[in-house]
Amino acid sequence: MEKKADEIHSRSCECSPTPSTPMGTPLRKVLDRISGFATPWKREGTAPRGRRIFHRDVEREEFQYASTHCLSSYYSVFVARLAIMVMLAILIGLLTILTWHFTKSYTTRSLNGLAYGLRNELLQRPIVRMWNILNSTSEITTAQLKLSEYVFRRYNKPDTQAEQVELYQAMRDVTWALFASRKALNAITINYRNGFVQAFHRDHRSNNTFYIYSDIVNYSISASGSYDIKMLSTHQGWNDQSIHGNVSAIWYQEPLDPLTGEKTGKAKPIPPDDLINIAGLSQVPDGVASWHVAVSKYSDSPLLSAALPVWDPSNESIVAVVGVTTALYSVGQLMKELVEVHSGHIYLTSQEGYLLATSTNASLVTNSTKGTNLMMAVDSDDHIIQMGARWLQRAYGNNFSQSHEIHAENFKFGHEQYYIDSFFLKLKRLPLVGVIIIPRKNIMGKVDERAFKTLVILISASLCILFIGCICIFILTNGVSKEMKLRAELISHLDARRRAEASSNYKSQFLANMSHELRTPMAAVIGLLDILICDDCLTNEQYATVTQIRKCSTALLRLLNNILDLSKVESGKLVLEEAEFDLGRELEGLVDMFSVQCINHNVETVLDLSDDMPKLVRGDSARVVQIFANLISNSLKFTTSGHVILRGWCENSNNSFIDTGKFALDQKKSWTTHKVKLKQQGSQMKKASKKENKMVLQFEVDDTGCGIDPSKWESVFESFEQADPSTTRTHGGTGLGLCIVRTLVNKMGGEIKVVKKDGPGTLMRLYLLLSAPVDGTEQHCQVDFANHSLVVLLALRGSMGRLIMSQWLDKIGVFTIKASEWNELTQILRELFSARCSVRNNGFDAQRSLSEPLKNKVLNIQEMRNPVFVIVVDIGLLDLSTDIWKEQLNFLDSFFGKAKFAWMLNHDTCNAIKMELRSKGNILMVNLPLYKSKMIHILEAVIKEKNVELQKKNSNGLRTTKEGDLHECLEIDATQFDIASSDDSDMSEIGSSNSVGVFHTGEKRRERTRKPCYQQIDNCLVELTCVHSKENNLTEKNPCQVRPNSHDVEDEEASLSAEPQGENAECRERHLGSRRPTLQGNLYSSKAVNEQKSLEGLRILLAEDTPVLQRVATIMLEKMGATVIAVGDGLQAVDALNCMLSAEDCGRGSLFEDRNTRSQTEIRGSPPYDLILMDCQMPKMDGYEATKIIRKSEAGTALHIPIVALTAHAMSSDEAKCLEVGMDAYLTKPIDYKLMVSTILSLTKTAA
Amino acid sequence: MDGVVQLQKQLVDYSASLFDEGILDEQFNQLQQLQDESNPDFVVEVVSLFFEDSERLLNELGKALEQQTVDFKKVDAHVHQLKGSSSSIGAQRVQKLCIGFRNYCEELNTEGCLKCLQQVKHEYSLVKTKLETLFKLERQLIAAGGSIPT
Repeated sequence: MEKKADEIHSRSCECSPTPSTPMGTPLRKVLDRISGFATPWKREGTAPRGRRIFHRDVEREEFQYASTHCLSSYYSVFVARLAIMVMLAILIGLLTILTWHFTKSYTTRSLNGLAYGLRNELLQRPIVRMWNILNSTSEITTAQLKLSEYVFRRYNKPDTQAEQVELYQAMRDVTWALFASRKALNAITINYRNGFVQAFHRDHRSNNTFYIYSDIVNYSISASGSYDIKMLSTHQGWNDQSIHGNVSAIWYQEPLDPLTGEKTGKAKPIPPDDLINIAGLSQVPDGVASWHVAVSKYSDSPLLSAALPVWDPSNESIVAVVGVTTALYSVGQLMKELVEVHSGHIYLTSQEGYLLATSTNASLVTNSTKGTNLMMAVDSDDHIIQMGARWLQRAYGNNFSQSHEIHAENFKFGHEQYYIDSFFLKLKRLPLVGVIIIPRKNIMGKVDERAFKTLVILISASLCILFIGCICIFILTNGVSKEMKLRAELISHLDARRRAEASSNYKSQFLANMSHELRTPMAAVIGLLDILICDDCLTNEQYATVTQIRKCSTALLRLLNNILDLSKVESGKLVLEEAEFDLGRELEGLVDMFSVQCINHNVETVLDLSDDMPKLVRGDSARVVQIFANLISNSLKFTTSGHVILRGWCENSNNSFIDTGKFALDQKKSWTTHKVKLKQQGSQMKKASKKENKMVLQFEVDDTGCGIDPSKWESVFESFEQADPSTTRTHGGTGLGLCIVRTLVNKMGGEIKVVKKDGPGTLMRLYLLLSAPVDGTEQHCQVDFANHSLVVLLALRGSMGRLIMSQWLDKIGVFTIKASEWNELTQILRELFSARCSVRNNGFDAQRSLSEPLKNKVLNIQEMRNPVFVIVVDIGLLDLSTDIWKEQLNFLDSFFGKAKFAWMLNHDTCNAIKMELRSKGNILMVNLPLYKSKMIHILEAVIKEKNVELQKKNSNGLRTTKEGDLHECLEIDATQFDIASSDDSDMSEIGSSNSVGVFHTGEKRRERTRKPCYQQIDNCLVELTCVHSKENNLTEKNPCQVRPNSHDVEDEEASLSAEPQGENAECRERHLGSRRPTLQGNLYSSKAVNEQKSLEGLRILLAEDTPVLQRVATIMLEKMGATVIAVGDGLQAVDALNCMLSAEDCGRGSLFEDRNTRSQTEIRGSPPYDLILMDCQMPKMDGYEATKIIRKSEAGTALHIPIVALTAHAMSSDEAKCLEVGMDAYLTKPIDYKLMVSTILSLTKTAA
Repeated sequence: MDGVVQLQKQLVDYSASLFDEGILDEQFNQLQQLQDESNPDFVVEVVSLFFEDSERLLNELGKALEQQTVDFKKVDAHVHQLKGSSSSIGAQRVQKLCIGFRNYCEELNTEGCLKCLQQVKHEYSLVKTKLETLFKLERQLIAAGGSIPT
């Protein structure tokens, strides 16, 4: 198409006035532009519209390059169209003209030939007639001459009168015979020498014949016989004399019978020469025959007369002259006849131009004063003849050349065209010219008419064809141009798509590359801040500021991680980890974290997990936490007052339906309907999941915020999508959160959607498919609180949390009483205790204000035997704005002995209050929000105290130490909440549960972990001694002293990460790191390093080719107390391992004697090295290969040496590759000291 | 004693300038922390190891890139090693150049590689002189009887 267009284009250039030099692109563009401007007018408006549309498209799409290309081809289509049309027009025009021309000229030529023949023929006939007349005249004349000669010989020399008369009589008879035989003759005359005249005359008009003779008396023979030769020279004079001398001579006219010649009338005298021309001697001056055209007085047509002399027998003298006259009348007659048939005009002229005969009736003779004369053709009365003659004279002059015949076709006369032809008849004595004038119309009239009609028809036909052709071309090329346009659009679309794809690729590539680059500076910032925090010389304010900066940095890091996560998920690079984790604890930590924010704007965060939730699940804990963190933060963002509830329950077991009872009644209806749906939805999954030991965990995030419009329920999960665009202004955010949530949930085989809710706010429901731990021995072991006859008074401000908590407590068999404000609390307290004190005297006075169900409860409780009261008091119930709270505390203090108080603190509760509380002996202090594990914790503590009190009764000596321990323990617990409350209260919770658990190893709660190894316990004990040593400092409550505590936390964390829960330590570490970056970097402080040689006794094989790295890593590990064997590549590593294995076979056991912390079985199964650090990229054999070989050699044995990858690649795909070949963990270069240590520890501990 | 204080100050300023200019990074600090009584010359040892290794690698890189047909796999491996060792001592500018270098390797772009090699050489000599100056200062300080400030 392109090529064709070009072809046409160049052809059109030839047609166009623009010089068609070889087309350079600029020139071509210009031409295109010109033709583009030219076409719109020619294309009747269709073209400009198309062009405009095209322009708009171009402007919209902004593909300049493509557009110029398209535009030029678009123009070339127009040019092509135009060129084709012009070609067609030219072709059709040529065809028409040629057709017409050939048709006409051929006809004309043949007709001309025919017409010429006709004209020739027409003219020939009068000429032939003329010729005949001449011939016959001459014949008669000759005959007359011969007969006269004969008569004269017979009557030779008449001497006498009688002989003379006899001669005349004989002559008369002979002449009559001749005259009678020729009817066409006008007259025959004989003029004798003596002047006697004999003549016969025939008048054609009157049809009379006359005999004319002169008076014979006047002539004497002698006189007439006196002629001699001498006189011949003067015969003219003779003749004249004789003629004119005979004036007195009398001529007689005798009418004759035309047939017989008999005399019919009397002779009467007539004047001589009156009637006819008598040929005299003068007409034969040289004695030879002569011819001339004469005019008679009595006829209007010219006469042809011939004269011959008659010699006497001796040939010496002329005796008489014979004349014959013939009328040319018949020629004119013939011409008339001819012209009647053919129309037109014919005339004959003499050489001089005198008219001899015409086809008209115009007279040929002029009667002037001088006498009768012949008329010239130019003076003819007939108009046409006159004009024709004049034209001829003008064109060819007077002298017709002898040989010339003139044929002129376009003689114009008046309004008509005439053919004019002249022929020259060459007679010896009388040259003649014949002219024929025929109007052209006569011959060519029909032809011309036909030709004209043909032309008109041809032109109209060709116009029609041209018109149709143009339309056809337009239609045909219209398709082509449409195709061109579509193609151009397609090209531009393809181009756009390619660019979009390329830019998308660049984007993901860029993000992937940036992951390292972005995180590194952030990590540096946070690390530096940590160092700064450790600095001793900071003032309180500076410390607070730095802490704030740290928080912000952490938030920024989180945001970066979010974006990177999303890009990772989008590019399909996200690999989910598969590790065991404590879901409940993670969620509790999360709620703790968010509750800090909640309190700021009066929103209650409630965690409501059902009891059947598995404690441990396998999955990607970081991602799960991320899901809920995003959801909760999203809910919090839009909730100004009310509550945010995170509900969770297990869908897998049948008892999930029983749990519905714990939900509020108003939600029950909607629940059941949803459950049915969810059940259907989940039924297929269940079948599949059962085999893989997977559970469907249902979660709900319920808030009382502004809610989402139902039409946006789907779209909120899209990238950068927010329910209301104005939210960005009011609440901020990128709109990425929910998108990440959905992709993550989908990745975990779950689903998330917004569900209809009765009240205000949003209800998001999601389920996750997580697998249960392999051992499957999860337990929901709970202390049987029901047996301890506990009564819990929940004095909490948050109604939702109170409701849920009390429902749960009721369910597990603990009596609850609820109070939402201070007055209510005091009433209940008074009621409870005053009633108990004086149950019989005035028990019902105070109960007036209490509602009916509460009364019943109080009554029930009063009936209980030896109840243990636990009063959970929200610090928010106290009036903290004034000093009233001290009085309130004093009031509560009065109940101190009778009930156990547990204080719910806010994260921002000031130290004065805490100190006050502590000074009053309140040791149970926990941070809001209250959830199950905290409640269990409180109850356990209370029960323990009770037990201790019971023991105290039994043995007094033991009491002091035990109590002291317990106090200290609980105080540590409380302090830790205090410290960590800023942003990682979950950690403190973990720490507290650990520390409590450590002290009461024998307790049931601790038993569920079942496999506490000695090593861990050792560690914990060591750490706790540290805690003890610092105890005194803690009690001083110096703010600066808070920081050493972070080491405690750190220590505990170390033990925590070493917990034998089968988790992948590396993942765990990372997860912890992502949430609590504060703690990272602390370990860099030399104190921490020096204090602890945590890798003491470990043998580590280091495979690293780069000498620098090798050295650095070696030093690092050796500092930690490990024994390092360094090798240069993978092959050496494998060799070293094999060598050691064989060596070990000989002397097993002796090698590790000093490692008393290990059990016998562990030693038996342990490899020569505790751990291998393997660089991935090494010469000879890389880390992947080496690992594969090691794992292969291990196959079949119980051995499993932990292998940690060292790699410079930071992408999780590399991580996946590492884990795939059998490595256990993954460290990135440059080596992070702390991360390496924790990783190594967790791996070695797990192996142990 | 004034001389010692001045030297100390000079040393601190100098090492701070190294960090400010981005020649060294956190990793070098870690190295310095690892140095203690049991390994008094640890940093110098590691750094000289780095110099040896790097010079060898740069030589090999130069040779490899001069070949008619460049073995990009080999070049890539060398650059990877260089990157690893430079990141270990904290010569981050060298390390960053190595990242770009490896990209060129993947593209099989000989010209880009040569350009990068020049840059790497330049950065390497820069870091080498800087570190040598640093060590010289430290030695002077110790000779003057001062202790290296941390």
